[in-house]
Amino acid sequence: MFRRSLCFLLIIFLSLPTTVSAYIPTPEENELLTTIERDTLQYFIRLSDKNTGLTRDSSRTGSPCSIAATGFALAAFAIGNERGWITKEYAYGRILSTLKVLKEKAEHQNGFFYHFLDARTAKRVWASEASSIDTALLLAGALLAAQYYPGTEVETIAHELYRRVNWRWMMNGSKFICMGWTPESGFLPYYWDSYNELMLLVALAVGAPENACPPSTWHDWLRPEGNYNGHRVIFASSGSLFTYQYSHAFIDFRGLKDQGNDFFENSREATLANRDFSMSFSEKHKGYSENSWGLSASVGPGGYKAYGALPGGAIHDGTIAPYAALSSLPFTPELSVAAVKFFHKSYGKSLYGNFGFKGAFNLDKMWCADEYLGIDQGISLLMLENFLNDGAVWKKFMALDAIKKWRAVTGLTTAPRETVSPGLSSGAATQAASPLPQ
Amino acid sequence: MRAKIAPEDFIMTGNRRRRFFINKPLQVRYMFAVAIPLLLICCTAMFGFYLGIWGGVLGAFTDEEMRNDMLTASRMVEYEQARYQPSKPSFSVLSLFRETDKLSQRQQEVLQGILNETNRAILWKLLLLLAFTAWGSIFISHKIAGPLYRFSKVFNEVEAGNYRSRIFLRKGDEGHPVARELNEALETTDRLLSDLKNALRDPNQAQALTRIKEKLDRIKTSADV
Repeated sequence: MFRRSLCFLLIIFLSLPTTVSAYIPTPEENELLTTIERDTLQYFIRLSDKNTGLTRDSSRTGSPCSIAATGFALAAFAIGNERGWITKEYAYGRILSTLKVLKEKAEHQNGFFYHFLDARTAKRVWASEASSIDTALLLAGALLAAQYYPGTEVETIAHELYRRVNWRWMMNGSKFICMGWTPESGFLPYYWDSYNELMLLVALAVGAPENACPPSTWHDWLRPEGNYNGHRVIFASSGSLFTYQYSHAFIDFRGLKDQGNDFFENSREATLANRDFSMSFSEKHKGYSENSWGLSASVGPGGYKAYGALPGGAIHDGTIAPYAALSSLPFTPELSVAAVKFFHKSYGKSLYGNFGFKGAFNLDKMWCADEYLGIDQGISLLMLENFLNDGAVWKKFMALDAIKKWRAVTGLTTAPRETVSPGLSSGAATQAASPLPQ
Repeated sequence: MRAKIAPEDFIMTGNRRRRFFINKPLQVRYMFAVAIPLLLICCTAMFGFYLGIWGGVLGAFTDEEMRNDMLTASRMVEYEQARYQPSKPSFSVLSLFRETDKLSQRQQEVLQGILNETNRAILWKLLLLLAFTAWGSIFISHKIAGPLYRFSKVFNEVEAGNYRSRIFLRKGDEGHPVARELNEALETTDRLLSDLKNALRDPNQAQALTRIKEKLDRIKTSADV
C-alpha cells in the first residue's frame, strides 16, 4: 500500500510542470526598461529619411543607410504604434512609404538589397555587397510589420519583396548561402556554413514561397560545440553576443528542438559564458564586473570590432557594449536587468542619450562612444519588446507562413514547455508558455 | 746656387688621391668630431620635416567632411573585417603619431600604407645621403689630413738633415699659405746652410771664417741669450 502510494505521488510529482525560478521585474525596473525601449524608438524616427524611409547605419554624420537598420526600423514603427507611442497614421505611413521605396527604387540583385544605400536615392553606396544576412534582417522587419497590419498594402508589398528574392541564386551552386555578391567581383568567398546569426536568414530562405533553399541548407551548417566555465555552447566563431541574439529577436526558439539542440537554451548558456569570461578579466579591465558585461561586436576605441568571448574568437580590450546585456533580457533576465540598471545609473550621463544607450564604452581608455548604431538599437528594441510585452514580436513572427513552412520542412519539433514565466507568457496556440529561467 | 722655387710650383697638379685614408686616426677623429654631428643635425632636421609633413597630412583628417568620409569608409571595412576575418592589432610606425590613436583601425591601415610607401621612397634617398656624407667626410678630412701628412713628412726630413725638401700640396688642399711660408723659411735656411758650406770650401781660411761669421751674426739662436 505504501509502495503504491509512493508511486502514485511520484507520478503526480513528475506530471507537474517543472518550476524554474523566473525573474519578475519590479515596477521601477519595468518603467526603466519601457523608457529605454521608447527612447530607442526615437533613433528610427529621427534617423530614417523622411522621403525614402531608409535608416542610417549610425547616428554619426555622413553615415549611409543600412538595410538591416531599415528592417529594424520597420519593426520599430509597428511596435511603437502597438505600444501607443506613435499614431497608426504615422507608423503605417512611414512603413508603407519605406516599403514602396524598397520595391520601386532601392537597388537590389535578385531581390537581395545592397548593404548600404544612399538615403535620398536608395542607390548602392560604398561599393557595398548585395548582402544575404542584411536582406534577411530587412525582410524580417518588413514581414513583422506586415503582421501588425494584416490585409493592408503594407502586408502586400512586404510579401512581394519576400517573394522576389531568389534564395537559390545566392547559394551559388553550393550547400550554403553565400554572404554576398558584388557587381565587381561576383559572389563573396564566404558562406553561411557555421553557427552564428545565420538562423534567421536560413529560416527565411528555406521557408520562402518561391526560389526557396532546400531543407538541407538548414541541416548542413556546422554546429560546433565548445565549453567555457561549465557552459556548453554551440558557438559562433567570433564569440560575439549578438550572434546568439539576432535570430532570437524574431524567432521564438523556446521549446524548438533542432537535432536535439535547444537554441534558446544555447543562447542563455552563451550569455552566461560571455559574462563569466569578462568577469575573469575584471582585474585587468576596469569596465568588467558582475553587472558590467557584454562582449559583442560594437564600436570601440580602435574602431568597430567583433568583440567576443570564449568559446569563440574572444577578442576583447575592455570595451563593453550595453546593447549586448540588454538584448540578452529574454535569456538572462535578472542579470540583464541588473546590468542595464548599472549602466544607466553609473554611466548614464555619458552613455545614455536621446536614442537610448550609445554604442559602447571602455573605462580603461576613458572612452565612450558618441554614436548610436542602428542595428544595436534595433536588437535592443525588439528584445525589450519581447521581454516586456509578452513575446509580442515572437508571436507575430512565428505566425508567418514562411516560419511554419521552415519548421515543417526542417522537422523542428516542439518540446513540451515547462512552466509559465511571469515576464513572458505565451498566447500562441501552438506553443506552451515558456519560462525565462535564471 | 739653387734656383728659387715659385709658390705655384709647390702645388701638385693631380687631384686624385691614391688612398682614402692618409692618416686614418686623424681622419676618423675628424669624422667623429665634425661629420657625424653634422650628419645628426641633418638627420634630425630631416626627421623634423618628416614629422611636420605627416603632422600636416594627419591634420587634414580633422577636416570634418574628409573625416566623415574617412570614418565611413573605414567603418565599412571594419564591418567586413568583423564579419569575415578579425584582424589582430600590431605595432606600427603610426605609433609615433599620437593623434592616430583617435583614428579607426581602417584609417590607421590607410595611413600605414601611405607611410610605408613614403618610407620606402625615402629610404634609398636616405641611404644615398649617408653614402654621400661618408664620402664627403672622407674627402674633406683628406684635405686636412693630406697637408698635415706632408708637413709631418717634410719636418721629419728636415730633422734628418735634408733641407732641400719642400712641402708640396694638392690644389684644393687646406694650408697653402702656411706651406708657402714654411717653404720660404726652409728655403732661407737651406740658402744659409748652403752659403756656410760654400764658405767652408774657400781655401782662404781667414776669409772663410769672416764670411761664416757674417752669416751667423745675422742669425738669432739660443746661444745668443
